Amino acid sequence: MVRGSRLWSWLFVALVLFYLYAPILVIVVFSFTTSPRLSLPIEGLTLDWYGRAFADPLIPMALKNSAILATISAVGGGIAGAAFAFGLVMLRNGRLRASLLSISMLPAIVPLLVIGIALAVFFSTIALPQGLIGAAIGHVLVSLPFVILTMNARLESFDFSILEAARDLGATRFQAFRDITLPLIRPSVVGAALLAAALSLDEFVVTWFNIGSQQTVPTLVWGLMRRGIDPSINAIATLLLALLVCLVVASNLLNRRKS
Amino acid sequence: MPLLPAGLFYALFFGVPMLSLLVISLWRAQGFNLIPDFTFANYQKIIVSDLYRGVLLRTVSVGLIAAAIVVPVAFTLAYIMRFVFERRGQLILQLVMLSLFSGYLVRIYAWRTILGKQGLLNSALQWLGLIEEPLEFLIYSQVSVVITLVGLLLPLAVLPLYSAMLNVPRDHLEAARDLGASPFHLLRTVLIPMVMPGVRTAFAFAFLLAAGDYVTPTLVGGTQSVMIGNIIADQFRGTGTNWPLGAAMAFIVVGVTLLLYLAITQLIRWVTKW
Repeated sequence: MVRGSRLWSWLFVALVLFYLYAPILVIVVFSFTTSPRLSLPIEGLTLDWYGRAFADPLIPMALKNSAILATISAVGGGIAGAAFAFGLVMLRNGRLRASLLSISMLPAIVPLLVIGIALAVFFSTIALPQGLIGAAIGHVLVSLPFVILTMNARLESFDFSILEAARDLGATRFQAFRDITLPLIRPSVVGAALLAAALSLDEFVVTWFNIGSQQTVPTLVWGLMRRGIDPSINAIATLLLALLVCLVVASNLLNRRKS
Repeated sequence: MPLLPAGLFYALFFGVPMLSLLVISLWRAQGFNLIPDFTFANYQKIIVSDLYRGVLLRTVSVGLIAAAIVVPVAFTLAYIMRFVFERRGQLILQLVMLSLFSGYLVRIYAWRTILGKQGLLNSALQWLGLIEEPLEFLIYSQVSVVITLVGLLLPLAVLPLYSAMLNVPRDHLEAARDLGASPFHLLRTVLIPMVMPGVRTAFAFAFLLAAGDYVTPTLVGGTQSVMIGNIIADQFRGTGTNWPLGAAMAFIVVGVTLLLYLAITQLIRWVTKW
């Protein structure tokens, strides 16, 4: 069953990858073509759309806000999520550990729309005006499950006996953490933080309900999309894509090095 | 101790907002004012209305169709990565996961340009002479919504299935095969029961996120494929807002999808274990 089906397996994998990457390919290719209409055959190549994209007066604000939110998600979500995952693997009660892990996954299962409106309603009842603070809280919330999940997978292979050895040799709890645990898990924490930054850069729904009149790169792209077909969307999207790919590849490499 | 920061954050910014949304779903709206109350009138209004019921039904069926495509494809892909390609499977997994982080809005928008009336697919088919007129059902329809959702959710479903299969020793499958199990029998009695938690998580991701997605029906769906997310969003943004009604809709969607999810996973367990 396995040997005879190698060719079919390749074919299946190739088809699925094509399905997943066709939309991305389309965006990248059409960010360089002269014809503003997205159709074949391609007439010529240009970099004009990139120039047009940067001429958009909202772009500096969107870039700045996206960078702020990504940094907050990386630092806040990365540290809190890593600490939570660390606390989970240290729990002795297996049932409690499993249920806490499931609960921490809830924001990934509840529709983003529901999270977005729940936060918007909550912020309005505590009279917090819409803006970056609310959006930042939303970003940390939606990135936490993914940070916890990846950190949890990494930490399950963490050897806790070396910590006990350090304690036996007279290290304080803090020393053991600073000199042994932290250097060992740092690459994974940085990897998880980069993942949180990537999720934040790409977040749209929760942002849209909470950011008010401010813009991020995704809300800007949304505004352009609603207005109709504008090829500078392809240019902005390609740049965003390049940034996301860098973050995710870096995150993977950091996580890999540890194991 | 290390559990505290994230735990508090969850309680304050997930637990409390969800609870306050639940409370508001029991209130009344009068114009722009919210009137505290304890009434199920909003829920009743949604369930009684033909319009809302229809939209809810469509939302659930789109979610189920997307999940019915995503889970088997993800299962096959995970099986191939784990048992056919083994080591190289990791690389394929990385590629699949990378597509997940390549712009959520952008991928939905890209499907619109692929499936549009004068989009890539139609112009390619016309150029090849396979069709004379553009295929109109490809865009602003449930077809385009499902095609787009499958692409968005497939990577999320592959991950839990692949990690579940990593725990299945190859010998188990070979032993069953040597004892004369047919491929179908093997699948039903050995592999599926062993990866059941992964199947459940994959199904949860695919179904719940497809039913709850709001951007896809807005960008590639037409007037005939409005999903409940569009109507909920309208209650919170734009004119004619009604927070209590929108909150009630949100909980009906979450409730209905969760119940269906539990019912279906129970059914799968039943079928695979007699």
